Amino acid sequence: MTEFDVVVVGAGPAGSAAALEVARAGLSVALVERGPFPGAKNVFGGVVYGRVLDELIPRWWERMPVQRWVTRRSTMVLTPTQALTVDLRAQDWGQAPYNGATAHRSELDSWLAEQAVAAGATLITSTVVTGRSATGVRTDRPDGDIAAKVVIACDGVNSFLAKEAGLFKAREHNTLGVKETLALPRAVIDERFGLTGDEGADFEIIGCTGDIPGGGFLYTNKESVGIGVVLELDGLTAAKVRPEELIAELKAHPAIAPLVRGGELVEYSAHLIPEGGYRTMPELVTDGMLIAGDAAAMCLAAGIWLEGVNFALGAGMYAGRAAAAAIAKGDTSKAGLAAYRTMLENSFVLGDHRRLRDMPGLVLSERVQRRYPGLVCDLAQGMFEVDNAQPKPGLRKLLREARRTHGVRVRDLLRDGITAMRSLS
Amino acid sequence: MLVIAALRWVDPRPGVDPLTGAVHTDPKASGPSAADECALAHALRIAGPGRCVAVTAGPPAAEGLLRDALAAGATDALRIDDAGANTAVALTAGIRTLGPPDVIVCGDHSLDHGTGATPALLAHAFGAAQALGLVELSMDGELTGLRRLDGGRRERLAIPLPAVCSVEPTGLRPPRASLPAVLAAQAAAIPVVTVDSGPSMVQAGEQKPYRPRPTHLGAPAGDAHHRVLALTGALTERTPPRVVRPASAAEAADELLDFLRKHGFLEP
Repeated sequence: MTEFDVVVVGAGPAGSAAALEVARAGLSVALVERGPFPGAKNVFGGVVYGRVLDELIPRWWERMPVQRWVTRRSTMVLTPTQALTVDLRAQDWGQAPYNGATAHRSELDSWLAEQAVAAGATLITSTVVTGRSATGVRTDRPDGDIAAKVVIACDGVNSFLAKEAGLFKAREHNTLGVKETLALPRAVIDERFGLTGDEGADFEIIGCTGDIPGGGFLYTNKESVGIGVVLELDGLTAAKVRPEELIAELKAHPAIAPLVRGGELVEYSAHLIPEGGYRTMPELVTDGMLIAGDAAAMCLAAGIWLEGVNFALGAGMYAGRAAAAAIAKGDTSKAGLAAYRTMLENSFVLGDHRRLRDMPGLVLSERVQRRYPGLVCDLAQGMFEVDNAQPKPGLRKLLREARRTHGVRVRDLLRDGITAMRSLS
Repeated sequence: MLVIAALRWVDPRPGVDPLTGAVHTDPKASGPSAADECALAHALRIAGPGRCVAVTAGPPAAEGLLRDALAAGATDALRIDDAGANTAVALTAGIRTLGPPDVIVCGDHSLDHGTGATPALLAHAFGAAQALGLVELSMDGELTGLRRLDGGRRERLAIPLPAVCSVEPTGLRPPRASLPAVLAAQAAAIPVVTVDSGPSMVQAGEQKPYRPRPTHLGAPAGDAHHRVLALTGALTERTPPRVVRPASAAEAADELLDFLRKHGFLEP
């Protein structure tokens, strides 16, 4: 039987960060990936926030494969005929140590795995871990059992290992992300989005998914844009609409169409997203096993924050450290690995998720999805509409009319506002 | 017996610049074609306990293909680092370093616009028999192959040694490698032979977009109204269209011939 100190299942950001930390601790580690190379099958919206890499890879920004550095961050609220955009441009984000970047997962994940391999990890590709064994994990290869003192499960949103261990909760707010990558000349992207050099834009959109709870996004790469929607599964099933129809509607919206016109479809991809947040996380530690990344629902979908890769990197890093420390102490039981949970709670990984635990429910609620976009757009339109036969209406009157039009009660508005303020404060 | 699996490392979906025609390949997406995987499987099977060497010409990234072959059961691997553009010449030089081969198995043609000439050139270089278009290959005392013919027919061939066999992509694939074999293959050193096969024997002329020479057309005379009429051809005398409905193909042919004679395209 093949033996390692630690086996990491899944060579995504969480898995590679975990393998990197274990290898740096001088232990043997196998990084098992089912795709032909890391990132071969992975999908994400398109933005990675890399500051967590400060702890892992010094001056990471000089080597990480990046498409563009995000210097323009826009939050759009859409109705079929209206668009209200809060547009932030921060030139500081276009220089080291940067803030967020658009990237292709096939390049990003391969690069992260290369760092782990360079540190001494053994990457095993095209190999599926089929479950746990008494001493480690089983794989789909002949003689494929791997013995390990600790298993770190980074096997994604449908983690078979977490399910097999009975740690997987029935997840609320699992969503389906679908994305089209549209090729456009670099000069056209720069002109349409007001960018120069390596600057990039990140548009987060709400109100573009009809009756289905969810949202949309639009990101710029070097010579392509990624546009897509994120859809709550139950809502998608009930609506009997195909996701690509919703992307087509989004691309045809008057506020979006000029940005993506003429783009040639070069890729269509889809992936489940564990958007439930803190309340849907499984137990993170069990005897001989840690869970990190999407497998542990470490994806933050909290309105203005949409993050995942940074949480995966952080969780993987702490999982690697906890596993190495437990092996050094000779105790890989649940108690011996409990430091993992403590590390996560003392860091942004669980700190942010715990603080924003009510946000996923609020963001995907019926009011935020179907009533508030129309309300705020009507309110803004009323404020800027000039009807000189009449004096300008007051904000209170506009708000009252918008509330009536969209069926929003004052107490619901206050309740949602308090929930949001509590989470954000 | 020395069996060579000559494998082509290729990107199955290369990007082609529509303006310049330049081809961009992605090393991550590159690998063997289905026919090459089939060739490796045949080579492993007919080599049996004998020596089976996986050979490819390509950059260091192509070593992944060779490690996969080692994990699947090849006894050795060889990468040929070719500075030139003649695959068959490079393969010949590399294979000669291994000794005289008994059988060389290739895919029938590579996916990157391959012409299928490499097996023939290898057979010529080694003075070997060539069997192409094979769907089966077996070694039972003698080397035999099954060749696909048109119309669903098959032709069974007794192939003398040495031989170069090119196989079509069928359902045959190399065996799933065991985990210990995968790990051993990862750690194996891949020998590299550096050759320069020279510039491509096929020289294509410089490709340029079609640019017809400009032709000067004089502006029509007259006032604006007449110039527009002249430019649009509204006043030009023309033969009105004539609808014919010949009763048979022979009458239709006669009609066409008459038309061509009338307009001077055929002798009266």
